[in-house]
Amino acid sequence: MSLLEIKDLTVRFGGVVAVNRFSTNIEQGIVHSLIGPNGAGKTTVFNAITRVVRPDQGNIIFDGHNLNGLRPFQVISHGISRTFQNLEIFKLMTVGENMLVGHHREFKTRVMNETLRTKNVKEQETAAWTRVLEVAEMLEIKNRLNTYAGMLPYGLQKRVELARALMCEPKLMLIDEPAAGLNTTETIELKKLIHMFTRKLGITVLLVEHDMSLVMDISDEITVMNFGHKIAEGTAKEIKNDPKVIEAYLGESKYA
Amino acid sequence: MTTFLQQLILGLREGSLIALVALGIVMIFKTTGVVNFAYGYMGMFSIYIAYTFLNTVGAPLWLSVTICIIFAFTLGASAERGLLRQVRHLSKGAMLILTLGMLMIFEGLALQIWKQDYRSFPNLVSGVRIITIGTGRLVIRNQDILILIVAAAIMAGLFIYFRYTKTGLAIRATAQNEDAAKLMGIKVGVIFALSWGVGVSLGAISAVLAAPRTFIHPYMMLPLQIRGLTGAVLGGFDSLPGAVVGGILLGVIEQFMGAYISEELKMALSLLIILVVLLVKPSGLMGSKAIERV
Repeated sequence: MSLLEIKDLTVRFGGVVAVNRFSTNIEQGIVHSLIGPNGAGKTTVFNAITRVVRPDQGNIIFDGHNLNGLRPFQVISHGISRTFQNLEIFKLMTVGENMLVGHHREFKTRVMNETLRTKNVKEQETAAWTRVLEVAEMLEIKNRLNTYAGMLPYGLQKRVELARALMCEPKLMLIDEPAAGLNTTETIELKKLIHMFTRKLGITVLLVEHDMSLVMDISDEITVMNFGHKIAEGTAKEIKNDPKVIEAYLGESKYA
Repeated sequence: MTTFLQQLILGLREGSLIALVALGIVMIFKTTGVVNFAYGYMGMFSIYIAYTFLNTVGAPLWLSVTICIIFAFTLGASAERGLLRQVRHLSKGAMLILTLGMLMIFEGLALQIWKQDYRSFPNLVSGVRIITIGTGRLVIRNQDILILIVAAAIMAGLFIYFRYTKTGLAIRATAQNEDAAKLMGIKVGVIFALSWGVGVSLGAISAVLAAPRTFIHPYMMLPLQIRGLTGAVLGGFDSLPGAVVGGILLGVIEQFMGAYISEELKMALSLLIILVVLLVKPSGLMGSKAIERV
């Protein structure tokens, strides 16, 4: 059984059909990329999975659970975390605090015992910081934990967002345009990171990305969208030679 | 010299009250993005509850005050949950208008139920200390000392809470980026209600502390609310330490203005400070500059 099954997903914004009867299966433990021209509906698919947008039709089944009916804050408890296209980190908090927020669901304390600082709260705080250090070590941002996130260079801010998404030990990570705005070196490092997520941590990655060399390089499976429809699906090699994909990206070949 | 010290102490007392009000206003603004214009009136309404328990029911003072604070918390949280949440999807402006509506409702209710009479409310602690320095004398009321202590304790408590606990972190996260906070598993609705509850309780606490001098009447919190807003603007409006500094500073400035220049110009000064700060340095003393890395 696939980890994530999207069946007949339709999302409308007023008269615009952003995603139209879109279906795909995402297998466990792979890097699955979602590509397509701007406005194809990729980010809307992400938003539908995280329940920020309510689909008009269709089901999204994750690990045997139907996500329909969940509120956005409940999605992360099922093991889905995400990063954003336009970087949504907490700029006025330190890197460490940003990561702690990612740990929010694991951290089970209440206002009352926080005020009393019970033993349980202290233990959980230690556990949370241990996890922060562990993840920071992996992403090589350990020396930045006390820096305000907004002060960091863009590449590192993106890393902080990835670190925050890793904090809850997700089964599935939705990564939205991680390479946008990164230079070549940073992109190579990013590639290594994503490899580590799947190979070492066993996290399934659903990736939206415009950097085609990156996509072709790391994806085990690629789904191509255009105008809300799925137009092709397969491995990098199959996608590259698919006439429909070439048409979507380069336009019709009538003048060629 | 003693006159100066005396005025400074009175200024700090007033400043602490203003800072408490400013803190509540800023806290609500930071998390839910709306300036609560009904703030002072909600505090006023809560202290009438304390007054009723104290005089009609005959409960002891501490109990009446506790009930008043619990009432204020519930009032704030349910106003957020029941009213503001319903128009949240419309715009910040809609929420602002709603708080203005709430202001009128609380004003009207208080006038209807308790009339416009001035009612007295006891000091939480009574007594006066007199300190002689050379030829001059300093008169310090115990209630004023209590105000300073309570304000300092609340500010320190809030600071520690925001800095070091999970709930504090969740509140800050929600204030900075609601959508991201939601996807991190934070129940932003609970956070909104919580900060309204705490914010309005701060208003009730400042009403309880101020009531022995201002007396209880439906407009008792109006001057404090205007000065609280001024303090918040002075501090930067989106910074909690800024609200404290701005509030205390305003209290001291006003007191000296009243003592050395003219008592009547105090309120005008508040409004003047709002104007000047907004024109010259809109980000206030400690507010964020709204500059972003692009």
